[in-house]
Amino acid sequence: MDSDEGDREPLSRRAEWSDVIPLPQDDGPNPVVSIAYKEDFRETMDYFRAIYQADERSPRALCLTREAILANPGNYTVWHFRRLVLQALNADLYKELDFLQQIANSNAKNYQLWHHRRWVIERLGADARAKELELNKEILSRDTKNYHAWSHRQWVLQALGGWEDELDYCHCLLEQDVFNNSTWNQRYFVITRSPFLGGLKAMRESEVRYTVKAILAQPNNESPWRYLRGLYKDDIEALVDDPQVSSVCLKVMNTKSNYIFALIMLLDLLCNGFQPSQEFRDAVDALWTSDTHPLDSDLAKAICYILEHVDSLRAGYWMWRKSKLPQAA
Amino acid sequence: MAAREWNPLDYDVEEGEEEEETPSPSALSSPLPYFDRDRHVAFLEMMYNLMPYHYQSQEINRLTLAFFTISGLHLLQALDRVDKERVADWVLSFQAHPRSKAELNNGQFYGFHGSRTSQLPPDENGVSAHNFGHLASTYCALAILKNVGFNLSTIDKESILISMRNLQQPDGSFMPVHIGAETDLRFVYCAAAICFMLEDWRGMDREKAKEYILNCQSYDGGFGLTPGLESHGGGTYCAVASLRLMGYIEDDLLSKNASSSVVNVPLLLDWCMQRQAADGGFQGRANKPSDTCYAFWIGAVLRILGGYKFIDKVALHRFLLTCQSEFGGFSKYPGTLPDIYHSYYGYTAFSLLEEPGLNPLCAELGMTDLAALGII
Repeated sequence: MDSDEGDREPLSRRAEWSDVIPLPQDDGPNPVVSIAYKEDFRETMDYFRAIYQADERSPRALCLTREAILANPGNYTVWHFRRLVLQALNADLYKELDFLQQIANSNAKNYQLWHHRRWVIERLGADARAKELELNKEILSRDTKNYHAWSHRQWVLQALGGWEDELDYCHCLLEQDVFNNSTWNQRYFVITRSPFLGGLKAMRESEVRYTVKAILAQPNNESPWRYLRGLYKDDIEALVDDPQVSSVCLKVMNTKSNYIFALIMLLDLLCNGFQPSQEFRDAVDALWTSDTHPLDSDLAKAICYILEHVDSLRAGYWMWRKSKLPQAA
Repeated sequence: MAAREWNPLDYDVEEGEEEEETPSPSALSSPLPYFDRDRHVAFLEMMYNLMPYHYQSQEINRLTLAFFTISGLHLLQALDRVDKERVADWVLSFQAHPRSKAELNNGQFYGFHGSRTSQLPPDENGVSAHNFGHLASTYCALAILKNVGFNLSTIDKESILISMRNLQQPDGSFMPVHIGAETDLRFVYCAAAICFMLEDWRGMDREKAKEYILNCQSYDGGFGLTPGLESHGGGTYCAVASLRLMGYIEDDLLSKNASSSVVNVPLLLDWCMQRQAADGGFQGRANKPSDTCYAFWIGAVLRILGGYKFIDKVALHRFLLTCQSEFGGFSKYPGTLPDIYHSYYGYTAFSLLEEPGLNPLCAELGMTDLAALGII
């Protein structure tokens, strides 16, 4: 914002504004948290108030809202007035989209920008869909965890469609960064809501395979573990019964490194009725090398005990979990 | 600074200011080994009197800035620095008033304006043509009034509550301002907090709001801002605090039979516990860096659930001190400059940690217990 200051011609010296009397902010008597406005900010907003008060829906008003937004991207009153002006002038909304893309790319993120964008896309309709999903990718490529951008993308998919390539897109992003939890979330959104994929149950088998692979590549990555569990949302019995789930826990434990999430998953399985074979007992025992303190014969208790030590930041939590375990049969 | 956190009060944490991009050498000097209350009081007093120009882009959220400042001073037991009457008069001057009772059903919201930009001077007939009452600003206005001991039973709550129903959507969520804006959990929280503070639930359909909240619980146990979005510390706070304020979950849920709860509590608790990162701080989402403010957003959820006792308080304390500025205030990450938003949530975090010299916190309202109870 400051870098433009040198080039900025004050509104008071611009001929096209000479007929407007700026309307200063009336902060009333005894204001608190007053802000030490810079002169160009103060002037822009004083002219904005004048134009807004006069309800002048003109091309110069559109230009002024642009300046006010750049100075003040969270100001919903300015955005609102800009929409009124755009409508009154029957303005080219593809041009508006260019303006919004410029702001989004310059990192001025805020809720109002995205709300305005949604308003524009609603008016452009399905014609804008493909372009919008591409523009959205451009923004996500700069910041793959931008919450606003993901929210907008989900809205576009639900309102206008474009689901066909979305799973591939998630796959590409996970190839780039398998730790990106936003992408895992989007993947879940797609497999549960895409009209082309048949829903969670239909997708479960292939998704479990995909996720197990990701886990084995990076067992210390929380995201795929949570995703794996999410694949059995509201169907905990299926989670317990699926040998792919228990076996990925076993495989990771047997490597004896990065096994914390595997232990947590196994603990959840046990709490929900999983009957472990001797292999599981041996794998857990092998993670505990202390001779002075033998592990509890109850496997769930033994896991909590190990977690208390290897995940010491959460020692209090694992102790509590241990105290809440159902009594061993 | 690619990451920008979500925040509940529609307050945009400034990014891209050149000062924030490159931490000054002084901001990188070794952190103070203790919570320096006096410097924080001085920092907030400065904000109370005049905020630096960096905050001009937040002008629309003046009441939010005032809330952080005044409630912050109260957390620091320094409310004596504030002229309570002056503050109450100033806050009340932002309230939008309908011309008649009939207007309460015209679709607009007669709450509090966020700033003077949205509140133009009345015309020659004394009528304000524009009404931009906003839920976040209204939450902040009432919260400030509680902090300065103003008796809320004297304000025109009827107008606020009846017109607030105009903002609730068919899916149970809330829009913050009648001219149209994003609808999500933040404004469900603001609406619930407003009704709670006014001790009157006519402002919302609680059942619908509850349904919306439950739709936001993600497959991993946390809550996203809207159904389908990634679990997030701020969204999770809004969900849990709203359910608590609306009376759908009990306090200290974990000591009771959690299995009968409206939300999946074990999964939620596990998600929250995993947010404390190896550096001791809290992250807002999985695999993201720790950030001062989530010590409050996640910490407050854990406090409401009864699980705060499980976190590593020593490690969190250490992390927060690395974000304490030698100028007073807290920054988002270690080594960056402080701002009022992260400072406020730094103070709330230290209050949760029971730092001596701080007032205790009412987790679900995000302000001191004393203010929440009206003991000023």
